[in-house]
Amino acid sequence: MLQYLVILLDDTSAAYCHADNPLKERNLMPIETLKKGILFGMKQNLMIQYVFPDYGTRDYELPKEYAEVIESIDNVKIYPAGCKPVTGIEDGNETDVEVTNEVPEKVEAKNLLLRLPFSKMLKQKDEIAKLFASGVRINLCITDVEQFTDGQIEAYKQLLEEWNGVLLGLYKQGLSPQFNLLTDRMMLKEMHNCEAGVSNITLAPNGKFYLCPAFYYDERMKVFNQLNHHQPSSDNSVGDLERGLDIPNPQLLRLDHAPLCRNCDAYQCRRCLWLNRKLTWDINTPSHQQCVMAHIERNASRSLLNDNRKVGEFMPEIDIKEINYVDPFEVRKEF
Amino acid sequence: MTKIKENQDSWQSGMAKNITFIVTKDCQLACKYCYLVGKNVKERMPWEVAKTFVDYVLDHETDPDFAYESVVWDFIGGEPFLEIELIDKICDYIKTELFRRNHHWFNSYRFSFSTNGINYHEKAVQDFIKKNRDHLSIGITIDGTEKKHDMNRVWKQPVADDNGLTKPSERGSYKDVVKNIPLWLEQFPGGGTKVTISSADIPYITESVLHLYSLGIHEVNINVVFEDVWQEGDDLKFEEQLMQLADAIIDGGYYQDYACSFFSEHIGKPMDPERDNQNWCGAGKMLSVDAAGNLYPCTRFAQYSLRDKEAWIIGNIKDGIDKNRLRPFLTLDRTTQSPQKCIECEVASGCAWCQGENFDAAQTHTVFERATAICLMHKARVRANNYYWNKLYRKLELEDLREQYEANKRKVKPEIC
Repeated sequence: MLQYLVILLDDTSAAYCHADNPLKERNLMPIETLKKGILFGMKQNLMIQYVFPDYGTRDYELPKEYAEVIESIDNVKIYPAGCKPVTGIEDGNETDVEVTNEVPEKVEAKNLLLRLPFSKMLKQKDEIAKLFASGVRINLCITDVEQFTDGQIEAYKQLLEEWNGVLLGLYKQGLSPQFNLLTDRMMLKEMHNCEAGVSNITLAPNGKFYLCPAFYYDERMKVFNQLNHHQPSSDNSVGDLERGLDIPNPQLLRLDHAPLCRNCDAYQCRRCLWLNRKLTWDINTPSHQQCVMAHIERNASRSLLNDNRKVGEFMPEIDIKEINYVDPFEVRKEF
Repeated sequence: MTKIKENQDSWQSGMAKNITFIVTKDCQLACKYCYLVGKNVKERMPWEVAKTFVDYVLDHETDPDFAYESVVWDFIGGEPFLEIELIDKICDYIKTELFRRNHHWFNSYRFSFSTNGINYHEKAVQDFIKKNRDHLSIGITIDGTEKKHDMNRVWKQPVADDNGLTKPSERGSYKDVVKNIPLWLEQFPGGGTKVTISSADIPYITESVLHLYSLGIHEVNINVVFEDVWQEGDDLKFEEQLMQLADAIIDGGYYQDYACSFFSEHIGKPMDPERDNQNWCGAGKMLSVDAAGNLYPCTRFAQYSLRDKEAWIIGNIKDGIDKNRLRPFLTLDRTTQSPQKCIECEVASGCAWCQGENFDAAQTHTVFERATAICLMHKARVRANNYYWNKLYRKLELEDLREQYEANKRKVKPEIC
């Protein structure tokens, strides 16, 4: 069921997931579009998540009329680090998310989304580990999943093992660190993925809906959607504010129509549909890279869970089984 | 002992890797129902591409994707025998390399052809057949009576358009094919033919199947096209034709020595969503290569087979297979790609699909959306099929032969495209 409406306020809105935002020209969503988008969200009973522009300046102010419209409804703000939006409501929301492509020394929001390529993550592992004690929820998103090779599996395992040590130390101090790659799986009893097109939908500045911002970026960058070789098209929209939502093959976005994922228990996996389409060419099928990384994280979470239980009772209702594979594709015949 | 002839499983069915060379996209014919919408005279496979591909395949003997007991090397076109010299060279190279590498396929390979039969009698083709006789499967396509055959299977116009694409002429090809049937049956006595039914062909089904039997062809593999070509009322006409055919086969006693794939005891039953959940087709388990050295999960995903979609290329002979692009094919199952009406269908078994047509007709870029254009035709087939078996069994019972038949009937494996 649709629960969230992500509104990209500008073409330069901060990238907050696997896909980089290649759009550099400012293109603010027209105020009338914004109003219609909010109205759509209200009528569909959706929580609005605004993604703020990255103009590269500190504490910029949107035009006054935008600030008023934005705050006309309860919302979550996703904004680039150092560019905290000024809308007249200064306290912000507990669920606001600060996004950055650099490991920060301090975090202003309660939620940090850190976007890094794999190599940079390895290089800055100690700086990242320092953030675990900050009391801020850390979401780390790897931006070059498609480049991940089987030759890096051991390095990733080792990195997560090191971070497990840091997290375990914090648990022993009575703290409750939150780090998506390692602590989420310990809390989950079912899949908790991105759910683009299922629980959330994105409204772009052009007034059209997309499964997620990445599909809008692809359309704008004229990435061919492979649908029709007679009339090459990059159109990725799934409806607009006039016609409403019109998602073709919506069932293929759901977990029950993803043969690998519905049998999987790497519940913390992002299950990124955009990466699926990019790498396997089918939106319901994850790539080897996505599965392997998610399973390394899952197995490391299992290890962290077990280590915590050596200290005392910890999440007794959670059971993460031992498995001997890192890609469920290898064992698909046993499903 | 009484028997009912059934269609034969293909050689080493389920245990052989199917590897297909699209040696040419040219054909002497321009059949009106042909799904190969991009046939052309330009794309002929160079020897270097074929050789590199064979090397690639044989270099990967231990790869799980090639870990099959046997191999079927398929040659298709267009019309494959237009490239008989190239094919001969490829087959010689395969045999030599299998021997040189002590490859486990050396004693378990086939060369397989589906041909229009037009140049079957020519020396180069006949020399090739003699040389490889023990490892060959050849099917000639003849659609039935001259009238039925010539409705669709027509010669192409002599001159291609500026893009090299070929267009149909008015000249039928029946006479050019039928003259080679006796030679083919002499060399391949169990040879079966493939008949394709489109909307306009329905009235000619019965006479066509009986005509093929009269030519000495004992196995007629026949199917309706998967494309959305059907007109209102076609299903009822189809049912009527199949019932006429059923009467002719049973009353004429053909069921003992001749088979027609329309009639099968195993179709028309509900299917369990969990137990009967396998995919119909082998796309993704097969591997095809074209003249440019591009690799496909099945020939139906090459550009010349697709009306609307971009080709689904899974790699090329230099860089190999991008296994990510194979994952959707290898995780396909029946229920995930089927709409609810198919999952709940009371007569679901035997209702086929073509993964390539599914992809081409899909609303999005996916192989998980089943095209259902044949729905009414399948239901009509099931009704006629039920009639056939009820009538045949009653006849066997009256002749006191039913028990004998039940005791001797062959177990049938699931059909794979």
